[in-house]
Amino acid sequence: MILTDSEKRMLDGENGEAARTAMEILLAIGKVYDAEKMISVSSAHVAGLSFKSHGVAGMEWAEQMLENGAKVRVPTTLNVVGLDRSKDLGFPREWNKCQSRIEAAYRRMGCYSTSTCVPYYCGFVPRVNEHIAWAESSAVVFTNSVLGACDNREGGPSALASALTGKTPLYGLHLEHNRKGDLMFKVETPLKKLTDYCALGNYVGRLIGNKIPVFEGIKDCSMEDLVYLGASLASSGGIAMFHIAGITPEAQTLGEAFSGNKYDTVTIGNVEIEEGYAKYNTAKDRKVDFVAIGCPHCSLGQVKEIAEHLSGRRVHSDVSFWVHTNVAIKYMAKQLGYVDIIEKAGGEVTQDLCTILGNPEALGFKTLVTNSGKMAFYAPGSNDFGVWFGDIEKCVSAAINGYFQD
Amino acid sequence: MSVVLKGRAISKGYAEGEALVCQQPIGFNFGVNAQNGVITEHNHELQGISVKGKILVFPYGKGSTGGSYVVYQLAKNKTGPKGIINLTTETIIAVGAIIAGIPVIDKIEENPLELIANGDHVKVDADNSTVIIDKFGNAEV
Repeated sequence: MILTDSEKRMLDGENGEAARTAMEILLAIGKVYDAEKMISVSSAHVAGLSFKSHGVAGMEWAEQMLENGAKVRVPTTLNVVGLDRSKDLGFPREWNKCQSRIEAAYRRMGCYSTSTCVPYYCGFVPRVNEHIAWAESSAVVFTNSVLGACDNREGGPSALASALTGKTPLYGLHLEHNRKGDLMFKVETPLKKLTDYCALGNYVGRLIGNKIPVFEGIKDCSMEDLVYLGASLASSGGIAMFHIAGITPEAQTLGEAFSGNKYDTVTIGNVEIEEGYAKYNTAKDRKVDFVAIGCPHCSLGQVKEIAEHLSGRRVHSDVSFWVHTNVAIKYMAKQLGYVDIIEKAGGEVTQDLCTILGNPEALGFKTLVTNSGKMAFYAPGSNDFGVWFGDIEKCVSAAINGYFQD
Repeated sequence: MSVVLKGRAISKGYAEGEALVCQQPIGFNFGVNAQNGVITEHNHELQGISVKGKILVFPYGKGSTGGSYVVYQLAKNKTGPKGIINLTTETIIAVGAIIAGIPVIDKIEENPLELIANGDHVKVDADNSTVIIDKFGNAEV
Protein backbone atom coordinates (compact mmCIF):
# COMPACT_ATOMS: atom_id res chain seq x y z
CA MET A 1 0.00 0.00 0.00
CA ILE A 2 1.30 3.45 -0.86
CA LEU A 3 1.24 5.78 2.13
CA THR A 4 1.78 9.54 2.08
CA ASP A 5 4.53 11.06 4.22
CA SER A 6 2.03 12.25 6.81
CA GLU A 7 0.41 8.80 6.96
CA LYS A 8 3.85 7.24 7.41
CA ARG A 9 4.60 9.66 10.23
CA MET A 10 1.36 8.68 11.92
CA LEU A 11 2.36 5.04 11.60
CA ASP A 12 5.73 5.88 13.16
CA GLY A 13 3.97 7.34 16.18
CA GLU A 14 4.68 11.02 15.56
CA ASN A 15 1.05 11.87 16.29
CA GLY A 16 0.92 9.75 19.40
CA GLU A 17 0.34 6.15 20.34
CA ALA A 18 -3.43 6.12 19.71
CA ALA A 19 -3.06 7.52 16.19
CA ARG A 20 -0.36 4.91 15.54
CA THR A 21 -2.68 2.06 16.63
CA ALA A 22 -5.44 3.56 14.49
CA MET A 23 -3.20 3.72 11.43
CA GLU A 24 -2.07 0.13 12.05
CA ILE A 25 -5.71 -1.03 12.06
CA LEU A 26 -6.40 0.83 8.80
CA LEU A 27 -3.23 -0.47 7.18
CA ALA A 28 -4.20 -4.05 8.10
CA ILE A 29 -7.66 -3.56 6.59
CA GLY A 30 -6.13 -1.95 3.50
CA LYS A 31 -3.85 -4.94 2.95
CA VAL A 32 -6.74 -7.36 3.38
CA TYR A 33 -8.77 -5.60 0.72
CA ASP A 34 -5.87 -4.84 -1.63
CA ALA A 35 -6.35 -1.10 -1.25
CA GLU A 36 -3.74 0.85 -3.20
CA LYS A 37 -3.84 3.84 -0.85
CA MET A 38 -5.65 5.67 1.91
CA ILE A 39 -8.27 8.34 1.21
CA SER A 40 -9.52 11.14 3.44
CA VAL A 41 -12.91 10.85 5.12
CA SER A 42 -14.98 13.89 6.06
CA SER A 43 -16.76 12.36 9.04
CA ALA A 44 -16.97 9.24 11.19
CA HIS A 45 -19.64 7.54 13.28
CA VAL A 46 -18.56 5.15 16.03
CA ALA A 47 -20.89 2.29 17.00
CA GLY A 48 -20.91 -0.77 19.20
CA LEU A 49 -20.98 1.41 22.33
CA SER A 50 -23.42 -0.64 24.38
CA PHE A 51 -21.85 -2.34 27.40
CA LYS A 52 -23.24 -5.53 25.83
CA SER A 53 -20.95 -5.07 22.83
CA HIS A 54 -17.95 -3.52 24.62
CA GLY A 55 -17.96 -5.54 27.82
CA VAL A 56 -15.22 -4.82 30.33
CA ALA A 57 -12.62 -5.72 27.69
CA GLY A 58 -13.86 -3.16 25.16
CA MET A 59 -14.35 -0.51 27.86
CA GLU A 60 -10.74 -0.88 28.98
CA TRP A 61 -9.57 -0.85 25.35
CA ALA A 62 -11.37 2.49 24.78
CA GLU A 63 -9.97 3.97 27.99
CA GLN A 64 -6.49 2.84 27.02
CA MET A 65 -6.89 4.54 23.63
CA LEU A 66 -7.93 7.75 25.42
CA GLU A 67 -4.95 7.50 27.75
CA ASN A 68 -2.75 7.01 24.70
CA GLY A 69 -3.84 10.39 23.38
CA ALA A 70 -6.80 9.50 21.16
CA LYS A 71 -8.30 12.65 19.63
CA VAL A 72 -10.65 12.78 16.65
CA ARG A 73 -9.43 14.56 13.50
CA VAL A 74 -12.79 14.73 11.69
CA PRO A 75 -16.33 15.38 12.99
CA THR A 76 -17.33 12.15 14.71
CA THR A 77 -20.71 11.20 16.12
CA LEU A 78 -21.49 8.45 18.62
CA ASN A 79 -24.05 5.72 18.17
CA VAL A 80 -26.75 4.65 20.61
CA VAL A 81 -25.55 3.71 24.10
CA GLY A 82 -27.28 1.58 26.71
CA LEU A 83 -28.27 4.42 29.01
CA ASP A 84 -30.68 7.41 29.00
CA ARG A 85 -28.71 10.27 30.52
CA SER A 86 -31.91 12.22 31.27
CA LYS A 87 -33.58 9.69 33.57
CA ASP A 88 -33.13 6.51 35.58
CA LEU A 89 -34.93 3.63 33.89
CA GLY A 90 -33.96 1.20 36.63
CA PHE A 91 -31.09 -0.63 34.93
CA PRO A 92 -28.55 -2.18 37.34
CA ARG A 93 -26.13 0.32 38.90
CA GLU A 94 -23.04 -1.52 37.65
CA TRP A 95 -24.42 -1.46 34.09
CA ASN A 96 -25.05 2.30 34.28
CA LYS A 97 -21.56 2.90 35.65
CA CYS A 98 -19.81 0.95 32.91
CA GLN A 99 -22.03 2.43 30.22
CA SER A 100 -21.18 5.95 31.43
CA ARG A 101 -17.47 5.13 31.39
CA ILE A 102 -17.69 3.95 27.78
CA GLU A 103 -19.60 7.06 26.67
CA ALA A 104 -17.21 9.35 28.56
CA ALA A 105 -14.11 7.79 27.01
CA TYR A 106 -15.33 8.45 23.47
CA ARG A 107 -16.71 11.89 24.34
CA ARG A 108 -13.30 12.85 25.74
CA MET A 109 -11.72 11.80 22.45
CA GLY A 110 -13.76 14.64 20.94
CA CYS A 111 -16.80 12.77 19.62
CA TYR A 112 -20.24 14.38 19.54
CA SER A 113 -22.20 12.43 22.11
CA THR A 114 -25.41 12.64 20.08
CA SER A 115 -25.83 8.93 20.89
CA THR A 116 -28.10 7.97 18.04
CA CYS A 117 -28.25 5.52 15.15
CA VAL A 118 -29.77 8.29 12.98
CA PRO A 119 -27.22 11.14 13.10
CA TYR A 120 -28.75 12.35 9.82
CA TYR A 121 -31.81 13.40 11.89
CA CYS A 122 -29.49 15.59 14.01
CA GLY A 123 -27.82 17.60 11.26
CA PHE A 124 -25.02 15.20 10.31
CA VAL A 125 -25.92 14.59 6.68
CA PRO A 126 -23.19 13.43 4.27
CA ARG A 127 -23.79 14.44 0.69
CA VAL A 128 -23.54 12.53 -2.59
CA ASN A 129 -20.04 11.10 -3.24
CA GLU A 130 -18.72 12.19 0.15
CA HIS A 131 -16.35 9.58 1.61
CA ILE A 132 -17.16 8.74 5.22
CA ALA A 133 -16.34 6.08 7.82
CA TRP A 134 -19.58 5.35 9.60
CA ALA A 135 -20.37 2.24 11.59
CA GLU A 136 -23.95 1.29 12.64
CA SER A 137 -25.30 -1.10 10.04
CA SER A 138 -28.56 0.82 9.45
CA ALA A 139 -26.69 4.11 9.00
CA VAL A 140 -24.17 2.52 6.60
CA VAL A 141 -26.94 1.28 4.34
CA PHE A 142 -28.84 4.59 4.57
CA THR A 143 -25.88 6.85 3.76
CA ASN A 144 -24.82 4.70 0.79
CA SER A 145 -28.25 4.04 -0.66
CA VAL A 146 -30.36 7.09 0.10
CA LEU A 147 -27.77 9.87 0.49
CA GLY A 148 -25.30 8.56 -2.09
CA ALA A 149 -22.33 8.93 0.24
CA CYS A 150 -19.56 6.32 0.11
CA ASP A 151 -19.19 4.15 3.21
CA ASN A 152 -18.13 0.58 4.00
CA ARG A 153 -19.65 -1.54 6.75
CA GLU A 154 -17.24 -0.26 9.37
CA GLY A 155 -16.87 -2.10 12.66
CA GLY A 156 -16.79 0.10 15.77
CA PRO A 157 -12.96 0.10 16.09
CA SER A 158 -12.35 0.71 12.37
CA ALA A 159 -14.69 3.73 12.40
CA LEU A 160 -12.77 4.99 15.44
CA ALA A 161 -9.48 4.42 13.61
CA SER A 162 -10.77 6.62 10.78
CA ALA A 163 -11.97 9.24 13.28
CA LEU A 164 -8.50 9.41 14.83
CA THR A 165 -6.64 9.61 11.52
CA GLY A 166 -9.15 11.15 9.10
CA LYS A 167 -8.38 8.27 6.70
CA THR A 168 -9.77 5.00 5.39
CA PRO A 169 -8.32 2.51 2.90
CA LEU A 170 -9.66 2.91 -0.64
CA TYR A 171 -11.74 -0.25 -1.18
CA GLY A 172 -15.29 -1.58 -1.31
CA LEU A 173 -18.05 0.99 -1.65
CA HIS A 174 -15.56 3.87 -1.94
CA LEU A 175 -15.00 2.59 -5.49
CA GLU A 176 -17.74 3.34 -8.00
CA HIS A 177 -17.62 -0.05 -9.74
CA ASN A 178 -18.50 -1.83 -6.48
CA ARG A 179 -21.72 0.16 -6.03
CA LYS A 180 -23.72 -1.47 -8.81
CA GLY A 181 -26.70 -3.77 -8.31
CA ASP A 182 -26.26 -7.57 -8.20
CA LEU A 183 -29.83 -8.81 -8.16
CA MET A 184 -33.24 -7.41 -9.12
CA PHE A 185 -36.32 -7.61 -6.91
CA LYS A 186 -39.56 -6.84 -8.72
CA VAL A 187 -42.01 -5.74 -6.04
CA GLU A 188 -45.45 -6.67 -7.34
CA THR A 189 -47.43 -6.07 -4.19
CA PRO A 190 -48.06 -2.57 -2.83
CA LEU A 191 -46.03 -1.65 0.27
CA LYS A 192 -48.50 0.31 2.37
CA LYS A 193 -46.81 0.88 5.68
CA LEU A 194 -43.52 0.90 7.57
CA THR A 195 -43.74 -2.75 8.64
CA ASP A 196 -44.21 -3.85 4.99
CA TYR A 197 -40.77 -2.37 4.29
CA CYS A 198 -39.30 -4.23 7.27
CA ALA A 199 -40.83 -7.50 6.07
CA LEU A 200 -39.40 -6.93 2.60
CA GLY A 201 -35.98 -6.22 4.10
CA ASN A 202 -36.16 -9.33 6.26
CA TYR A 203 -37.04 -11.57 3.31
CA VAL A 204 -34.39 -10.12 0.98
CA GLY A 205 -31.65 -9.91 3.66
CA ARG A 206 -32.04 -13.59 4.47
CA LEU A 207 -32.00 -14.50 0.80
CA ILE A 208 -28.98 -12.60 -0.52
CA GLY A 209 -26.59 -12.12 2.42
CA ASN A 210 -24.19 -9.37 1.39
CA LYS A 211 -25.07 -8.49 -2.19
CA ILE A 212 -26.57 -5.23 -3.52
CA PRO A 213 -30.30 -5.58 -4.27
CA VAL A 214 -32.12 -3.37 -6.76
CA PHE A 215 -35.84 -2.88 -6.15
CA GLU A 216 -38.30 -2.05 -8.88
CA GLY A 217 -41.93 -1.21 -8.26
CA ILE A 218 -41.58 0.77 -5.02
CA LYS A 219 -43.32 4.14 -5.14
CA ASP A 220 -44.14 6.95 -2.76
CA CYS A 221 -41.98 5.78 0.10
CA SER A 222 -41.19 8.06 3.04
CA MET A 223 -37.76 8.72 4.53
CA GLU A 224 -38.75 6.53 7.49
CA ASP A 225 -39.73 3.66 5.16
CA LEU A 226 -36.24 3.81 3.61
CA VAL A 227 -34.54 3.90 7.03
CA TYR A 228 -36.48 0.83 8.18
CA LEU A 229 -36.02 -1.07 4.91
CA GLY A 230 -32.26 -0.56 5.19
CA ALA A 231 -32.16 -1.49 8.88
CA SER A 232 -33.99 -4.75 8.15
CA LEU A 233 -31.76 -5.61 5.17
CA ALA A 234 -28.67 -4.94 7.28
CA SER A 235 -29.75 -7.07 10.25
CA SER A 236 -31.05 -10.25 8.63
CA GLY A 237 -28.26 -9.89 6.06
CA GLY A 238 -24.93 -8.09 5.76
CA ILE A 239 -26.22 -5.61 3.23
CA ALA A 240 -24.43 -2.27 2.90
CA MET A 241 -26.34 -0.78 -0.01
CA PHE A 242 -29.53 -1.06 -2.04
CA HIS A 243 -31.02 0.77 -5.00
CA ILE A 244 -34.64 1.63 -5.75
CA ALA A 245 -35.23 2.41 -9.40
CA GLY A 246 -36.42 5.97 -9.82
CA ILE A 247 -35.90 6.87 -6.14
CA THR A 248 -32.35 6.46 -4.84
CA PRO A 249 -29.67 8.76 -6.32
CA GLU A 250 -27.56 6.15 -8.11
CA ALA A 251 -30.58 4.41 -9.67
CA GLN A 252 -32.54 7.00 -11.53
CA THR A 253 -33.06 4.21 -14.08
CA LEU A 254 -32.66 0.44 -13.85
CA GLY A 255 -29.82 0.68 -16.34
CA GLU A 256 -27.94 3.06 -14.07
CA ALA A 257 -28.51 0.81 -11.03
CA PHE A 258 -26.92 -2.22 -12.73
CA SER A 259 -24.53 -0.41 -15.04
CA GLY A 260 -23.90 -3.43 -17.24
CA ASN A 261 -23.95 -6.06 -14.46
CA LYS A 262 -25.87 -9.17 -15.55
CA TYR A 263 -28.59 -10.00 -13.05
CA ASP A 264 -31.32 -12.45 -12.07
CA THR A 265 -34.80 -11.29 -11.10
CA VAL A 266 -36.78 -12.34 -8.03
CA THR A 267 -40.47 -11.49 -7.80
CA ILE A 268 -41.84 -10.22 -4.49
CA GLY A 269 -45.55 -10.81 -3.93
CA ASN A 270 -47.80 -11.18 -0.90
CA VAL A 271 -46.35 -14.56 0.00
CA GLU A 272 -42.81 -13.21 0.34
CA ILE A 273 -43.94 -10.19 2.39
CA GLU A 274 -45.98 -12.44 4.69
CA GLU A 275 -42.97 -14.70 5.16
CA GLY A 276 -40.94 -11.60 6.09
CA TYR A 277 -43.55 -10.73 8.72
CA ALA A 278 -43.87 -14.26 10.08
CA LYS A 279 -40.13 -14.81 10.55
CA TYR A 280 -39.99 -11.89 13.01
CA ASN A 281 -42.50 -13.49 15.40
CA THR A 282 -40.83 -15.58 18.08
CA ALA A 283 -43.21 -15.12 21.04
CA LYS A 284 -45.69 -17.75 22.19
CA ASP A 285 -47.46 -15.90 24.97
CA ARG A 286 -50.14 -13.49 23.73
CA LYS A 287 -49.97 -11.63 27.03
CA VAL A 288 -47.33 -8.92 26.65
CA ASP A 289 -45.48 -6.72 29.15
CA PHE A 290 -43.30 -4.53 26.91
CA VAL A 291 -43.99 -2.47 23.81
CA ALA A 292 -41.03 -0.63 22.25
CA ILE A 293 -40.85 1.53 19.15
CA GLY A 294 -37.92 3.35 17.59
CA CYS A 295 -35.22 1.10 16.14
CA PRO A 296 -33.72 2.94 14.33
CA HIS A 297 -34.58 5.95 16.50
CA CYS A 298 -37.92 7.64 15.77
CA SER A 299 -38.12 10.69 13.57
CA LEU A 300 -40.19 13.64 14.79
CA GLY A 301 -42.97 12.45 12.50
CA GLN A 302 -42.96 8.99 14.07
CA VAL A 303 -43.14 10.45 17.60
CA LYS A 304 -46.08 12.61 16.48
CA GLU A 305 -47.81 9.57 15.01
CA ILE A 306 -47.47 7.66 18.29
CA ALA A 307 -48.77 10.65 20.26
CA GLU A 308 -51.82 10.78 18.00
CA HIS A 309 -52.51 7.09 18.58
CA LEU A 310 -52.12 7.40 22.35
CA SER A 311 -53.94 10.68 22.84
CA GLY A 312 -56.66 10.27 25.47
CA ARG A 313 -55.87 6.57 26.00
CA ARG A 314 -54.12 4.71 28.79
CA VAL A 315 -51.35 2.10 28.59
CA HIS A 316 -52.27 -1.13 30.45
CA SER A 317 -50.90 -1.29 34.01
CA ASP A 318 -48.95 -4.50 33.25
CA VAL A 319 -47.26 -2.99 30.17
CA SER A 320 -44.29 -0.65 29.74
CA PHE A 321 -44.41 1.39 26.54
CA TRP A 322 -41.12 2.92 25.41
CA VAL A 323 -40.51 5.20 22.44
CA HIS A 324 -36.82 5.42 21.50
CA THR A 325 -35.32 8.52 19.96
CA ASN A 326 -32.39 10.90 20.40
CA VAL A 327 -31.93 14.09 22.38
CA ALA A 328 -32.55 16.35 19.36
CA ILE A 329 -35.84 14.77 18.31
CA LYS A 330 -36.95 14.41 21.93
CA TYR A 331 -36.33 18.09 22.60
CA MET A 332 -38.41 19.08 19.57
CA ALA A 333 -41.15 16.59 20.46
CA LYS A 334 -41.24 17.99 23.99
CA GLN A 335 -41.57 21.55 22.70
CA LEU A 336 -44.37 20.50 20.36
CA GLY A 337 -46.32 18.69 23.09
CA TYR A 338 -45.97 15.10 21.79
CA VAL A 339 -43.86 13.91 24.73
CA ASP A 340 -46.47 15.14 27.22
CA ILE A 341 -49.27 13.27 25.40
CA ILE A 342 -47.24 10.03 25.40
CA GLU A 343 -46.27 10.41 29.06
CA LYS A 344 -49.83 11.26 30.07
CA ALA A 345 -50.96 7.99 28.47
CA GLY A 346 -48.38 6.13 30.56
CA GLY A 347 -45.59 5.80 27.95
CA GLU A 348 -41.94 6.83 28.13
CA VAL A 349 -39.96 8.73 25.52
CA THR A 350 -36.31 7.74 25.93
CA GLN A 351 -33.19 9.37 24.53
CA ASP A 352 -29.69 8.01 23.75
CA LEU A 353 -30.62 4.34 24.17
CA CYS A 354 -32.73 1.58 22.61
CA THR A 355 -34.13 -1.76 23.68
CA ILE A 356 -31.51 -4.01 22.11
CA LEU A 357 -28.52 -1.92 23.26
CA GLY A 358 -29.99 -1.14 26.68
CA ASN A 359 -30.85 -3.52 29.48
CA PRO A 360 -34.66 -3.66 29.77
CA GLU A 361 -34.44 -7.41 30.41
CA ALA A 362 -33.08 -6.47 33.85
CA LEU A 363 -36.56 -5.07 34.60
CA GLY A 364 -38.06 -8.53 34.12
CA PHE A 365 -39.92 -8.06 30.82
CA LYS A 366 -40.57 -11.26 28.88
CA THR A 367 -42.64 -10.50 25.79
CA LEU A 368 -42.03 -7.57 23.44
CA VAL A 369 -44.24 -6.03 20.77
CA THR A 370 -42.58 -3.79 18.18
CA ASN A 371 -43.07 -2.38 14.70
CA SER A 372 -39.31 -2.45 14.08
CA GLY A 373 -37.92 -5.29 12.03
CA LYS A 374 -34.40 -4.67 13.33
CA MET A 375 -35.54 -4.77 16.96
CA ALA A 376 -37.65 -7.88 16.30
CA PHE A 377 -34.61 -9.56 14.75
CA TYR A 378 -32.16 -8.80 17.56
CA ALA A 379 -34.30 -8.77 20.73
CA PRO A 380 -34.48 -12.59 21.09
CA GLY A 381 -30.66 -12.85 21.05
CA SER A 382 -29.88 -9.58 22.85
CA ASN A 383 -32.67 -9.37 25.45
CA ASP A 384 -34.00 -12.94 25.52
CA PHE A 385 -37.50 -11.58 24.77
CA GLY A 386 -40.20 -13.34 22.82
CA VAL A 387 -41.28 -10.95 20.06
CA TRP A 388 -44.53 -10.06 18.31
CA PHE A 389 -44.04 -7.96 15.21
CA GLY A 390 -46.91 -5.72 14.12
CA ASP A 391 -47.73 -2.31 12.72
CA ILE A 392 -48.20 0.80 14.84
CA GLU A 393 -51.92 0.10 15.39
CA LYS A 394 -51.15 -3.37 16.70
CA CYS A 395 -48.37 -2.04 18.94
CA VAL A 396 -50.66 0.58 20.46
CA SER A 397 -53.53 -1.86 20.85
CA ALA A 398 -51.21 -4.35 22.60
CA ALA A 399 -50.03 -1.56 24.91
CA ILE A 400 -53.61 -0.61 25.82
CA ASN A 401 -55.00 -4.16 26.17
CA GLY A 402 -51.98 -6.04 27.53
CA TYR A 403 -52.13 -8.73 24.84
CA PHE A 404 -51.15 -9.03 21.20
CA GLN A 405 -53.75 -9.70 18.55
CA ASP A 406 -52.99 -10.49 14.88
CA MET B 1 -4.16 -37.63 6.14
CA SER B 2 -3.50 -33.95 5.87
CA VAL B 3 -4.65 -31.41 3.32
CA VAL B 4 -2.57 -28.26 2.97
CA LEU B 5 -4.21 -25.24 1.35
CA LYS B 6 -3.13 -21.69 0.68
CA GLY B 7 -5.37 -18.76 1.52
CA ARG B 8 -5.26 -15.08 2.34
CA ALA B 9 -4.16 -14.06 5.83
CA ILE B 10 -6.56 -11.50 7.29
CA SER B 11 -5.27 -11.47 10.85
CA LYS B 12 -1.83 -12.87 11.69
CA GLY B 13 -1.02 -15.64 14.15
CA TYR B 14 -1.23 -19.40 14.55
CA ALA B 15 -3.88 -21.59 16.11
CA GLU B 16 -4.98 -25.18 15.92
CA GLY B 17 -7.97 -27.05 17.22
CA GLU B 18 -11.22 -28.79 16.49
CA ALA B 19 -13.29 -27.40 13.62
CA LEU B 20 -16.81 -26.07 14.11
CA VAL B 21 -18.37 -25.56 10.69
CA CYS B 22 -21.35 -23.33 10.04
CA GLN B 23 -22.99 -22.82 6.64
CA GLN B 24 -24.74 -19.60 7.72
CA PRO B 25 -23.16 -16.18 8.25
CA ILE B 26 -22.62 -15.17 11.90
CA GLY B 27 -23.56 -11.84 13.48
CA PHE B 28 -21.53 -11.51 16.67
CA ASN B 29 -23.26 -8.47 18.19
CA PHE B 30 -26.45 -9.74 19.90
CA GLY B 31 -25.82 -13.10 18.25
CA VAL B 32 -23.04 -14.51 20.45
CA ASN B 33 -22.83 -14.41 24.26
CA ALA B 34 -19.38 -13.01 25.09
CA GLN B 35 -19.42 -14.56 28.58
CA ASN B 36 -19.55 -18.16 27.39
CA GLY B 37 -19.18 -18.09 23.59
CA VAL B 38 -22.63 -19.56 22.97
CA ILE B 39 -24.51 -18.53 19.81
CA THR B 40 -27.82 -16.95 20.83
CA GLU B 41 -29.36 -15.90 17.52
CA HIS B 42 -32.85 -17.34 17.26
CA ASN B 43 -33.17 -20.09 14.62
CA HIS B 44 -29.45 -19.92 13.81
CA GLU B 45 -27.88 -23.17 12.71
CA LEU B 46 -25.52 -23.03 15.72
CA GLN B 47 -28.01 -21.65 18.28
CA GLY B 48 -27.06 -22.97 21.73
CA ILE B 49 -23.59 -24.12 20.62
CA SER B 50 -20.37 -22.57 21.93
CA VAL B 51 -17.60 -21.33 19.65
CA LYS B 52 -15.11 -21.39 22.56
CA GLY B 53 -11.76 -22.96 21.71
CA LYS B 54 -12.85 -23.96 18.20
CA ILE B 55 -11.52 -23.23 14.75
CA LEU B 56 -14.68 -21.55 13.55
CA VAL B 57 -15.45 -22.03 9.85
CA PHE B 58 -18.25 -19.87 8.40
CA PRO B 59 -18.93 -17.91 5.21
CA TYR B 60 -18.71 -14.29 6.46
CA GLY B 61 -19.93 -11.93 9.16
CA LYS B 62 -23.29 -10.22 9.06
CA GLY B 63 -25.45 -7.81 11.01
CA SER B 64 -24.60 -5.19 13.58
CA THR B 65 -21.33 -3.32 13.22
CA GLY B 66 -20.69 -3.56 16.99
CA GLY B 67 -19.60 -7.13 16.26
CA SER B 68 -15.89 -6.20 16.22
CA TYR B 69 -16.04 -5.41 19.93
CA VAL B 70 -17.77 -8.71 20.67
CA VAL B 71 -15.03 -10.62 18.83
CA TYR B 72 -12.49 -8.68 20.95
CA GLN B 73 -14.44 -9.45 24.15
CA LEU B 74 -14.59 -13.15 23.31
CA ALA B 75 -10.81 -13.23 22.97
CA LYS B 76 -10.20 -11.34 26.23
CA ASN B 77 -12.72 -13.53 28.10
CA LYS B 78 -11.11 -16.65 26.59
CA THR B 79 -14.54 -17.70 25.34
CA GLY B 80 -13.89 -17.12 21.65
CA PRO B 81 -12.73 -19.21 18.74
CA LYS B 82 -8.99 -19.94 18.56
CA GLY B 83 -8.97 -19.28 14.85
CA ILE B 84 -11.35 -18.39 12.02
CA ILE B 85 -11.67 -19.55 8.42
CA ASN B 86 -14.09 -17.65 6.15
CA LEU B 87 -15.12 -17.80 2.54
CA THR B 88 -14.65 -14.02 2.46
CA THR B 89 -13.97 -12.03 5.61
CA GLU B 90 -15.68 -8.65 5.88
CA THR B 91 -14.50 -5.62 7.87
CA ILE B 92 -16.36 -6.31 11.10
CA ILE B 93 -14.82 -9.74 11.66
CA ALA B 94 -11.46 -8.58 10.27
CA VAL B 95 -11.08 -5.63 12.64
CA GLY B 96 -12.34 -7.53 15.68
CA ALA B 97 -9.88 -10.35 14.99
CA ILE B 98 -6.96 -7.99 14.33
CA ILE B 99 -7.30 -6.11 17.64
CA ALA B 100 -8.08 -9.39 19.45
CA GLY B 101 -5.15 -11.28 17.92
CA ILE B 102 -7.27 -14.15 16.53
CA PRO B 103 -5.71 -15.65 13.39
CA VAL B 104 -8.04 -15.49 10.39
CA ILE B 105 -7.64 -16.85 6.87
CA ASP B 106 -10.10 -16.52 3.99
CA LYS B 107 -10.27 -17.33 0.28
CA ILE B 108 -8.52 -20.69 0.56
CA GLU B 109 -8.07 -22.75 -2.58
CA GLU B 110 -11.11 -24.97 -1.94
CA ASN B 111 -14.48 -24.30 -0.32
CA PRO B 112 -13.83 -24.71 3.43
CA LEU B 113 -17.56 -25.16 4.12
CA GLU B 114 -17.55 -28.33 2.02
CA LEU B 115 -14.06 -29.57 2.74
CA ILE B 116 -13.94 -29.20 6.51
CA ALA B 117 -16.27 -31.18 8.78
CA ASN B 118 -17.10 -30.70 12.46
CA GLY B 119 -14.42 -32.41 14.52
CA ASP B 120 -11.64 -32.21 11.95
CA HIS B 121 -8.37 -31.01 13.44
CA VAL B 122 -7.45 -27.77 11.70
CA LYS B 123 -4.32 -25.60 11.83
CA VAL B 124 -4.73 -21.94 10.92
CA ASP B 125 -1.25 -20.63 10.12
CA ALA B 126 -2.00 -17.03 9.23
CA ASP B 127 1.69 -16.10 9.40
CA ASN B 128 2.19 -18.28 6.32
CA SER B 129 -1.32 -17.93 4.82
CA THR B 130 -1.82 -21.67 5.14
CA VAL B 131 -4.59 -23.94 6.42
CA ILE B 132 -3.77 -27.56 7.30
CA ILE B 133 -6.70 -29.95 7.72
CA ASP B 134 -6.29 -33.30 9.46
CA LYS B 135 -9.43 -35.24 8.63
CA PHE B 136 -10.91 -36.75 11.77
CA GLY B 137 -9.65 -40.31 12.26
CA ASN B 138 -7.74 -39.97 9.00
CA ALA B 139 -10.97 -40.88 7.24
CA GLU B 140 -12.08 -39.88 3.77
CA VAL B 141 -10.75 -36.70 2.25
